[in-house]
Amino acid sequence: MNDLMKRNFITFIIGAVLVVIFALLLFVFQVRQSEVAVVTTFGKPVATYTNAGAYFKLPWPIQKVYKFDQRVQNFEDKFSENYTADSVTLLSSVYIGWKISDGQRFLLTIRNGSIPDAQQKLEGILRSAKNAVIGKHQLSEFVNPDPQQLKFEGIEGEIEQTVRAQLSTNNIGISLEFLGFKKIGLPDSVTQTVFDRMKSERQQWISKYDSEGNAEAQKIRSAAERQAAETVAQAELLANRIRAAGEAEAANTFTVFQQNPELANFLLRIDALKNFGQKSTVILDERIPPFDLFTHLPTNSVAK
Amino acid sequence: MSESHEHHEHDHSHPEPQVQDAGTHALGEALRSSFAIVKVVMVLMVVAFFCSGFFTVGPSEKAVILRFGKPVGEGSKALLGSGSWHWAWPYPIDEVVRIPITEQQTVQSTVGWYFTTPGEELTGENIGVGASLDPARDGYVLTADRNIIHTRANLTYRINDPIRYIFSFASASNSVQNVLDNVLIYTAAHFKVDDALYTDVAGFQDAVLHRVSDLTEQAQLGIVIDNCQIVNIPPRQLKPDFAQVITSRENRNKTINEARSKANDIVLSAGAQAAGITNAAQSARVRYVTSITGEAGTFTNLLAKYQANPSLFVQQFFIPAVGDFMSTANKWFLPQRADGKPRELRLELNREPVQKPGQ
Repeated sequence: MNDLMKRNFITFIIGAVLVVIFALLLFVFQVRQSEVAVVTTFGKPVATYTNAGAYFKLPWPIQKVYKFDQRVQNFEDKFSENYTADSVTLLSSVYIGWKISDGQRFLLTIRNGSIPDAQQKLEGILRSAKNAVIGKHQLSEFVNPDPQQLKFEGIEGEIEQTVRAQLSTNNIGISLEFLGFKKIGLPDSVTQTVFDRMKSERQQWISKYDSEGNAEAQKIRSAAERQAAETVAQAELLANRIRAAGEAEAANTFTVFQQNPELANFLLRIDALKNFGQKSTVILDERIPPFDLFTHLPTNSVAK
Repeated sequence: MSESHEHHEHDHSHPEPQVQDAGTHALGEALRSSFAIVKVVMVLMVVAFFCSGFFTVGPSEKAVILRFGKPVGEGSKALLGSGSWHWAWPYPIDEVVRIPITEQQTVQSTVGWYFTTPGEELTGENIGVGASLDPARDGYVLTADRNIIHTRANLTYRINDPIRYIFSFASASNSVQNVLDNVLIYTAAHFKVDDALYTDVAGFQDAVLHRVSDLTEQAQLGIVIDNCQIVNIPPRQLKPDFAQVITSRENRNKTINEARSKANDIVLSAGAQAAGITNAAQSARVRYVTSITGEAGTFTNLLAKYQANPSLFVQQFFIPAVGDFMSTANKWFLPQRADGKPRELRLELNREPVQKPGQ
């Protein structure tokens, strides 16, 4: 009797657990971190759960749960052509980060709530935003060495604003997290002309460097020569001063010579005579001593 | 005793189906034993059920337990690392999400690079370079002065907020990649071609690094940028032209450097020459002063003798001096004419003979 009761009790517990599990499966659903869940009652959205956890619902067919990935999705549009304000054909591709911000709107406006369908919608919105914004700017606002004139970020910001405005008008439950250019290019034929221009610019640099080298070298050398000449001239000036100082010093000895200018004169002339070199040729006549000894030699006049 | 009694009772109450009873008994035994086996199996299954909740985490990953979809623990506490056992309830209560986090993540941007095949990449050769760039195939960026260059970047980063990295972005690494692509275009638009390629490569790299950091922070990707390697090259179509510019610039620098060293030589030798001139003047001065002083000394010595007999003194000095002089110089002696008139002397000065070339 006891045995039977015990057995029945165990059976009852097991049954109850099974019922509870079954009920949980029917009445409770999980929302994973990174998911948003929308609950519909007879097809009409009634509640949205964005926080992770377990929640209550009525079983099918009364209520149904739709879950969407609410993480930031990456998307980039096709690399497509637009004309800038100065009629340059610019190819560009824009990337965005977007996410589902309103599960109910998303469910209602995007067919099946599918992400590819949403991205198709985004592609259209991006294209029209790019058309609207790029045409308002010159190429010089996309690339420019002057940060004042470069409006790269501004252009991205304008596209972002346009896309945001469109998203809020369409109200499709999508929010834009970030946007930026992923790629910028020029048409095939234009790259050719850019190359031609670049080539001529390179040539200009080459000839500039070639002539600059020689000119600069010339300048440096002539500056050095001028400096050298100056240095030597300075040195000569200094040398003259030194010599003049020497002469001034020597002039002090004049008082000595002044005691007898005749003797001084004589000694100077003797010195001068000593300083004649070996190559000098002198023509003398007999009146000069010591040749005056020859003056009265009888042979001298007879010989002629 | 009781056993035998029992048997006895059995025997008595059901004497007929004794053989049948043995069969049932055997069946009962079999059922009982198999029920015991089932019980053991069930216990084992329950044990296995709980043991299946144990898991380990690999060295290059982290794990997060989601309980009813929600991470267990806050922030970095939610991250389970390697080195020990962890336990989680089986699905659908808990779910273990593994996050592959190597120490460093890498993304590469080739949005500004021309089309290459992996084979070409290995050999470093590139065949079939067209005259222009096909925008559908070849990537490039536009510089501030509207030149086309190729650029590519390798970015390494660490994940510092894995919960955000994994649960807030469908593909965070793709987002990083997009940011890197964007920043390369943006930075190139600020730099002139020569700065980007040669004069300010480090500045370019820095600018990229900073902007990637800023943008990923703005987007709250939960990462920290470690480093960014950038390669910028001129278009292959213009490689020789760009190379020639560098050669020319180097030649210019070489010419200038040579001129500088030559100039240095000139200045130095002028300095030496100047020193020579002043030194010569200095020594001439010393010599001159010394000799004058010497002469003055001699003069003072001779003065007394001269004053005693000037004429004799002159003869005494003059004759030997002329004699010394005559011993070295060429001399012509010109005697007096017989008639006593002065002689007329004519000198014919020939020009130097003109030298013929080659002589």
